[in-house]
Amino acid sequence: MKKLNILLLLLLIIFSLISLFPIYWTIITALKVNSEIFTTVPIFFPVKITLSNFYTPGQTFGAVSQTAFGSFPWLLNSAVIALLSALIGTFLIGAPAAYALTRYLKNVWLGRTVLLMMMIPEAALIIPFYIIIIKVNLINTWWGLTLVYLSFTAPLSTWLLMGFFSDLPRSVEEAASIDGLSAYKIFYKIAMPMIMPGIMVSIILNFINSWNEFLYALVLTYTPFPTGAQTVPLFLSDFIVIEKSFAWGGLAAAGVIVIIPTIIIGIYAQKYLVKGWTMGAVKE
Amino acid sequence: MNRKQATKIGLILASPLLIYFLIFFIYPIFLLFRYAFTNTAGSFSLSNFVYMSKDPILYSSLYNTLYYFIGSVAVQFSGGFLAAIVLNSYTGRLKNTFRMILYIPLTISPIVIALIWLLIFNPTYGPIDYILRTPINWLGSLNLAMPTIIVANGWEYIPFVFLIIYAGLQAVPKQYYEAASIDGMNRLQTFRYITMPSITPILVVAFLLNSIGILQGFTLVYVLTNGGPGFSTYILSFYIYKVAFAYFNLHYAAALSLLFIFIIGAFVYAMLKLTSVERYLGLKRENAGDE
Repeated sequence: MKKLNILLLLLLIIFSLISLFPIYWTIITALKVNSEIFTTVPIFFPVKITLSNFYTPGQTFGAVSQTAFGSFPWLLNSAVIALLSALIGTFLIGAPAAYALTRYLKNVWLGRTVLLMMMIPEAALIIPFYIIIIKVNLINTWWGLTLVYLSFTAPLSTWLLMGFFSDLPRSVEEAASIDGLSAYKIFYKIAMPMIMPGIMVSIILNFINSWNEFLYALVLTYTPFPTGAQTVPLFLSDFIVIEKSFAWGGLAAAGVIVIIPTIIIGIYAQKYLVKGWTMGAVKE
Repeated sequence: MNRKQATKIGLILASPLLIYFLIFFIYPIFLLFRYAFTNTAGSFSLSNFVYMSKDPILYSSLYNTLYYFIGSVAVQFSGGFLAAIVLNSYTGRLKNTFRMILYIPLTISPIVIALIWLLIFNPTYGPIDYILRTPINWLGSLNLAMPTIIVANGWEYIPFVFLIIYAGLQAVPKQYYEAASIDGMNRLQTFRYITMPSITPILVVAFLLNSIGILQGFTLVYVLTNGGPGFSTYILSFYIYKVAFAYFNLHYAAALSLLFIFIIGAFVYAMLKLTSVERYLGLKRENAGDE
């Protein structure tokens, strides 16, 4: 029994190494000087630590250069678009729809429709989205990309929140209804506050998904802030194309900047995230 | 409140979603049909579908997509299942810490995954080739490019399967195990007769969600191999992108998109018909009308 447990612990340590090593490698590459990056015997524990890959005096702000410093205009676009699509997807679309579907519209086809919206891959819709966004003249704008990102944030929110609303006991809402509150007031004054954890799950998951999205941003945006809405994954992909063989330190530094927000959320919002990812697949 | 009133309130609350659905799902699919069934001059034509039937790049994309799909499912399910079983059987402290460490890759942007694996798989300076003592051109070789992408993608999504199965294992009531040990079942029997039946619904749901995630794949191919070498890592999503935005043939790309949706639709339909996934997801109740 004890022996087995030690074996399991050993396996868990190996899994953890597999999970963390690539991240560790990126971080140390970002902190290495060039002479320690391009060595035929890789240096696993660097001694000379530098921040010059993040910022070197004289670097152009807002351009793909050799350091991560230029990424800020892209980061700003990412933050705004991810927040907009997370909040709109949760509060304006997902929550009311989820409430309607659990309390008023009991039709299996509506649930299936939401599921269908989640299942169509991005690549299958990118052409019509491109045509629509051009037609309404929102190409390369915050609102253009936000509208498109709602195509995954809104159904995911609806889906997640349906699970939370259906777990809610009806007695409170019934009491409020007897007190004369309208159905809409019951929704946003009584039912919504009671599923705050669900709202958090929805916002966090939507934020991460939008922050990480690549294909739509690639097609629908082409310049950084302030002239356009290009997001930070695009900064990184241009950077990779240009500096694939040269500025690895700067590349890794940019990668670190992109993953910091989502890793921090991953650590601090563990409870919410795990619930979101398991998506009501596991009833507790 | 009567039924009519309830429906009215429901429709008003759901109206933002319904309006969005009309503009960003129904209309796009209509647009896909319109583009797919017309030629560049704008008149009705079946030429896109005729071309599709004899397009060698499409056939290799379909083959690669299948390869990528089966490989990814195998890697992600075996990895996720193993990790979940190990963590669930482990009886020590730090269980939640291990869970957190094991799911961290899931929070990372695919574009950064691409970057990370470019650094790690580099034949000259990368740590993997150093440990193996042989420089291998992972992404530039016809036979290795796709497996490399499957592994890199697996590193990100094994945690997804792991999390779902682990949550499922945790939800198995302790009394079942107690009863099994009173009945004198050994470890293997307990796994076979208690654990497996309890988590079957979770496995089915995990498979469905995971498959959809895998078919979303695009970024790694775009950044790591750009479809190459040759056409060896062209998957359907990448081919659609290429046709539309590198060859600027929106009409043929629309036809390919319809094919993609049709394939996914057939897959999901088969899942719904062959398994009880809808019941597991809570879409369908065990007994109709138990409300």
